[in-house]
Amino acid sequence: MTRPGLPRIDLGQINSVVRLEMKKILFARRGIWIYVLALLPLVLFTAYDFQASREQARRRQIANQSQRPLTYQDLLTVKSGMTNQEVIALLGRPALNFHWREQRAQGPDSFTDVAHERYHYSDGSNDLFVELSDGKVTDANIQTGNSLGEDSIVFASVFQFFYLRLAIFFGCLGIFMNLFRGEILDKSLHFYFLSPIRREALMIGKFLAGLLATCAIFLTSEFLQIAVFLWHFSPTVRDLYLYHNHGLEDSAAYLGVTALACLGYGAFFLVAGMLFRNPILPAAAILIWEAVNPFLPTLLKQFSIIYYLKSLCPVNIPSPPGTPPLLSLLISNSDPVAAPVAILGVFIMATLALYVSSLQVRRMEINYTSE
Amino acid sequence: MNDQILFENVSKFYGEILGVNRVNLSIPRGITSLVGPNGSGKTTLMNLMTGLIRPTRGRIQVLGCRTDEPEKLFRILGYSTQFDSFPKGLTGYQFIYSYLRVGGRDSQDAEQLAWQAIERVNLAEAATRKIAGYSKGMRQRIRLAQALCHDPRVLVLDEPLNGLDPLARSEMIALFRAAAEQGCHVIISSHILHEVDMISDQVVLLSTGYVVAEGQIQSVRQEILEHPAQILIRCNRPRDLAAKMMESGHTIEVRIHNDERGLLIKTRDADGFYLMLNQMAVNGIDIESVAPADDDVNSVYEYLIGNEEVVR
Repeated sequence: MTRPGLPRIDLGQINSVVRLEMKKILFARRGIWIYVLALLPLVLFTAYDFQASREQARRRQIANQSQRPLTYQDLLTVKSGMTNQEVIALLGRPALNFHWREQRAQGPDSFTDVAHERYHYSDGSNDLFVELSDGKVTDANIQTGNSLGEDSIVFASVFQFFYLRLAIFFGCLGIFMNLFRGEILDKSLHFYFLSPIRREALMIGKFLAGLLATCAIFLTSEFLQIAVFLWHFSPTVRDLYLYHNHGLEDSAAYLGVTALACLGYGAFFLVAGMLFRNPILPAAAILIWEAVNPFLPTLLKQFSIIYYLKSLCPVNIPSPPGTPPLLSLLISNSDPVAAPVAILGVFIMATLALYVSSLQVRRMEINYTSE
Repeated sequence: MNDQILFENVSKFYGEILGVNRVNLSIPRGITSLVGPNGSGKTTLMNLMTGLIRPTRGRIQVLGCRTDEPEKLFRILGYSTQFDSFPKGLTGYQFIYSYLRVGGRDSQDAEQLAWQAIERVNLAEAATRKIAGYSKGMRQRIRLAQALCHDPRVLVLDEPLNGLDPLARSEMIALFRAAAEQGCHVIISSHILHEVDMISDQVVLLSTGYVVAEGQIQSVRQEILEHPAQILIRCNRPRDLAAKMMESGHTIEVRIHNDERGLLIKTRDADGFYLMLNQMAVNGIDIESVAPADDDVNSVYEYLIGNEEVVR
């Protein structure tokens, strides 16, 4: 009764599994927290972007109210000890001028009046606050606006310490661990096990679905984060960064590291979901292993995903002066590997994990009552 | 032996708990019923046969196919399980269609086969509704459609009539019979003995993980020597016949029917008894009918296993 000419191409079967699983993963109600995790840095950068844009608008307004257009070099010319006339001669009348009087005690019954002033200038990007007492400059303080250099370090920190180590890590945990474990708990895995499909093909299909879903979620978020991060800078600064200062390469590296993280962590959590009934234990073990990676000997470091991913991160985060040595070790990448080695490393780790998964999936039995 | 389902010394233990032990079976074409009380090992035997679980010991082959090769096994086998869970969010049609697509069918083929299977189980009207909203009987039918949809040579059906109304039951039984007549191996587990009796070509009786008996029901009955055969005879002079039977020595117990038109005889030598009966007929007793009264599954089950948890 079997029909002749049955298709034997596993790729078609894998494709069917991917389509079914993608739908399940992307629209699962229990996976909403993964979207929240992925979008959290985006919300953070959007809020920062909003605040930075407001600040910039305010500076531009002050610059426009100045008697004449100022440059950053103009702002640097004001020194302590100058008179107010000299300042006004250099920069023109300030756009904002606060003044107040102070009665300063000279003796038990005598006071003198001190006249205070604060001039606020701006070149449109930076603020200059000039403090004057009795018509003489006591302090000239320049507050620089948003600098792409500083902001890129903030971006790199958020990426490495939140996005990579927490958001993608736990996102992959939630998706890949449930590929088999979730269906065992739902008692629906037999749907696949009753199909004429190689168990390995099923495993690959599920893994690819997980990888596509995590990449779609985390790459989209990462792309938007980069876009929002650059949004409040002027087009000139953006162009300079993107096309003349490795900006495009850095953005591509962030996206690449995100995809590799999904691949590496995904493969690990897939096998963990098959080997362990309780996902908390392997998740905690992997999290601790990844966290202590900087303190491990080089040989052991090679058996973790974060070791390779850190080497691929485009911006090194400098340790601020006075950082404790242990924390400093955690921040810096003391033992980086070359990019091709790092990429190969993640692929080898993922392949090993998938090989163990393929052995495990062949041994799996449907025995829901024991779960 | 490529047209049989073979169990060779198969045992399955769940840790220290026995599933089935030392099962040696050879299941031919036709409808074979697995009969036994809860926990006797019926579902374990089916799960072993379909590779959902692996034997602790022994070897299983389904028409020459190993059970650890699902890519080959499920091209010839369809299994309707007792698991009442489905992938979330699917309609009945999508469930069957997806199953066929995962199995490697192209879109057009899968669509056609899915609708054919749905129509075979009379679920066409509800096919575009979500399975989550189905009744128990509808869920049973969609599982049957899944097992049937790729026209398998072996159909394994775990309690397939559960939850079905009488009309649906008879339709499904007709479906199984038709499959068996086309040369399929149909393996059914059931608690309901009168249905098993009605549809089975052979039975496998299970008790506490062991196969107690297997084969055609009449052959199984003949092998149960400790229980005498019971024969119901309708005739015009039951008392005369009873007296002659007792004299002959082939009979150990006789009961006259209340209407004085028949009698129930118990004998340990059924062959000798039938020879004797022919002579009686010649000697003027008018015998209307002779029928074995206990060669059905119900009696065999009761003799071998007892009557625990069985619906008659």
